[in-house]
Amino acid sequence: MTPFVISFLFGSTPECQFSARDAQDSIRAGMEREGRRGCQLCADSLRCSAHLGFQLHVHSSEHSPTLTKPEENSHLRVFLLLFRGVRQAQWLTKTKLVQGLPAAVLSIAENPAHQLQEQEEAVHRAIAHARLWETTEVAPRREKYCPVLFEDLIHLCRSMSMKYPSLARRMLARNYRIAATWERESTLLQIRGLNGILMNSMTPIPPIASKEEILATKDHVLETFYPISPTIDLQEVIVYQELNDTGFKDGYPYSHPHTLYFLESANNRPNRFRPEQLRAKMLMFAFGNALAKARVLYGNDPQVLEQPIVVQSVGTDGQLFQFLVFQLNTTDLVSNDGIKNLVWIDSDQKLYESAQCVPEVKKRVVTKPTGIYGLQPETFKKFLALYLHGTV
Amino acid sequence: MSLSRGVRRPIKLLIWAPCPSAVPQLCKMAACRGRRLLWHGRCWFSQDPAAPPPTPAPAPLYPPIVASHTAKSKVAKRRRLELFYQQVHEAATIEEKLRLYGKLQRPKYMVYPQTFALNADRWYQSFTKTVFVPGLPPRAPPAAAKAPEPGAGAAEALEQGTATAGAAASGAAEALQPGAAAPGAATATKPAAEAAAELDLGALRDLACDALLQESFYQNKKRPFLYRDQDHTPAPFLTQLASSFAAFLCKRNPLLAASSLDLNPEINYYWHHGEEVVVHGHRKGRVDPVRFQIDDKPHLQIRVPKQLPEVVPLESDLGDVPVVNHKPSKLPLFKKQYENKVFIGSKVADPCCYGHTQFHLIPDKLNRQRFKVANLEDQIEVVYRANGIASLFAWTAAQAMYQGFWNEADVTRPFVSQAVVTDGKYFAFFCYQLNTLALTAETIQKSSRKNICWGTDSKPLYDVVEDGSVKGFNDEVLLQLVGFLLNRPKEL
Repeated sequence: MTPFVISFLFGSTPECQFSARDAQDSIRAGMEREGRRGCQLCADSLRCSAHLGFQLHVHSSEHSPTLTKPEENSHLRVFLLLFRGVRQAQWLTKTKLVQGLPAAVLSIAENPAHQLQEQEEAVHRAIAHARLWETTEVAPRREKYCPVLFEDLIHLCRSMSMKYPSLARRMLARNYRIAATWERESTLLQIRGLNGILMNSMTPIPPIASKEEILATKDHVLETFYPISPTIDLQEVIVYQELNDTGFKDGYPYSHPHTLYFLESANNRPNRFRPEQLRAKMLMFAFGNALAKARVLYGNDPQVLEQPIVVQSVGTDGQLFQFLVFQLNTTDLVSNDGIKNLVWIDSDQKLYESAQCVPEVKKRVVTKPTGIYGLQPETFKKFLALYLHGTV
Repeated sequence: MSLSRGVRRPIKLLIWAPCPSAVPQLCKMAACRGRRLLWHGRCWFSQDPAAPPPTPAPAPLYPPIVASHTAKSKVAKRRRLELFYQQVHEAATIEEKLRLYGKLQRPKYMVYPQTFALNADRWYQSFTKTVFVPGLPPRAPPAAAKAPEPGAGAAEALEQGTATAGAAASGAAEALQPGAAAPGAATATKPAAEAAAELDLGALRDLACDALLQESFYQNKKRPFLYRDQDHTPAPFLTQLASSFAAFLCKRNPLLAASSLDLNPEINYYWHHGEEVVVHGHRKGRVDPVRFQIDDKPHLQIRVPKQLPEVVPLESDLGDVPVVNHKPSKLPLFKKQYENKVFIGSKVADPCCYGHTQFHLIPDKLNRQRFKVANLEDQIEVVYRANGIASLFAWTAAQAMYQGFWNEADVTRPFVSQAVVTDGKYFAFFCYQLNTLALTAETIQKSSRKNICWGTDSKPLYDVVEDGSVKGFNDEVLLQLVGFLLNRPKEL
């Protein structure tokens, strides 16, 4: 049984959602990053689409007996383009999807007590700072404005610790590495590497779904993609250690992962995930973090958790926000039956319509002055609600 | 004599022998005509005091005689300069003013705040007309009495107000945290009534230790890249420390709640100071101002919408500015010609246009070990001081330019900012008050004001981190940091 690893080459199957050109762009970008040349099967250039355009790395011990150490980190690039997006990720993590954020989070968002003073102006200032004012050039690029927007929004959220002092017991961790392994219908899957910015907290988030809802997931049937295997575009690698690591040593006081933030800040489209793929990535890494934590708390045996673990995730490309709340109910992932995990996704929330860096002038009259247009404060309310969830 | 003056023609101006009383008139050519008319008026008065007052002087028939705009003469050059000054004064917006100010590009010295040059702090003081005062300025804390002298002023004052609550809270907090810090020596002396003005020193200490432990111990990290040790642990630790302290202290300092936190912002400032003769090239022999540009990238900065209060009055004189009798290139400083930028970290339209605190991280190539190995231990403090002075001068001066001041329109109120310079373990604190922007050769003689920089020596925040705990945590440094972050205008 050769272990598969979650990462990330894209197969341009006929049913896929994207055009062939997108597929080739992403393959090309991935291959350049890996330094590979063309399709292995036909040794053609990067434009091969006859053989589904991806490379198979089959390193099993019969074919390359000289391998003595594990193939290190070729799977660490988060070049996640699961061709079916969230649906494929659901199968891989045995999860049931619920559209929209859970009621607990939405009630925090609606509550006026959980809002900053002059919240709209503060959010407007944060967006204007990121998109308009932060650079000496005329217009900042996404690589600059996406992280700056994130830092500004987090700074606004942190100032809520005036009202709720226990919010100070949170710590942001950047550049941390996660490792989680699980078995899924006779395939061993593994997720590893640098993912996003993790906010840790001292206390775990209480479970969202009630016991009845968890038991009701038994009846849910996971979607399969017959005749295509759900692991079709994953990379096969031999690994010598089935590693489960939260990224932090024992005794770390902020031991509960709270929220994962993903910033898609690459300038070019092939390097930047599409919303569907971003949601799939968020789901996979939220699952990975929850699973690693579950292994630490409950051991490696597959079981149904009596205290489900909740991990949240927020992904953005500087304008569109994706919100995700994941609840790990069970680590028994081999079979397709039984209790499933739950995920709530709120997708494609725009924070603002557009940012005009240079005034639009038509026939010497300024038609659209510089500024931020179409601010939607509800998106920030949800962002803040996810931040406050678990403390408030 | 007066009759000949009245019928004089321009061409005769060159051969006309000036009368001693007319010499001052020669200097103000534009006002000559008016003065001469007035002179005539005075003559009439002295001749006939009983006569009725004369009718107001008629509008001049000819335009004023002024120096040429385009001629190759010193007077024409002066006139071009004054026209330029007038243009800048009358600029409609600040952006336009900045654009005109930095329009002309010429080779200029690039001043690096983080430099290995020996005794760079004295040189930078001379470039920026700054007086360096050791120790921090005395600060009046809200609850306790004023500290007697600078130096440990801020630390003492805060300690008196917070020691009681600090000791109680730290005991409780440490019981909760197994891997937390070794306690500092906060002894409680004041009664519990002082706890009303409390600052939760224990919680702050725990925050700092947790940040440090996360970055250096708990988080599984790979080995640092070659010569990139600062990016591995101190950089994320400093970010975490500053942002969590700013969030924690929001309650006590409402200015921080309205502040803007920048990571790796860009600070630029361009100015003239002194004069030199152009050495080579087609402009050889001309007297040019010496141009400087600072391009700084602090690790983190906090900008606020309201200005920090002044520390001492505008015209204070707290010492002497060192005089360096060498060309700046001897430091060494090198010249380059590129865009003249003035930038505080965000554009003019940002409401948070005043600075509060900057955090600087000393890079790997300037770490202490290298100086010790090269037998230059006295230069370690120079690195911190040079960084503090240069960065803060650039920031405060750029803030002043954003308010419309420049070297011909000097500041009417002092601009104050603070900085913390660190290499991850050793912290040095600086406070800068900008009193004057007039540093050009002409304006520096008219202005007797000096900029002032207060600064401390670098002190360690902790001794060592081992086995999941921080040994030898220094509360004094923590208190100074907290005091910096709590600084705010008096009305808040």
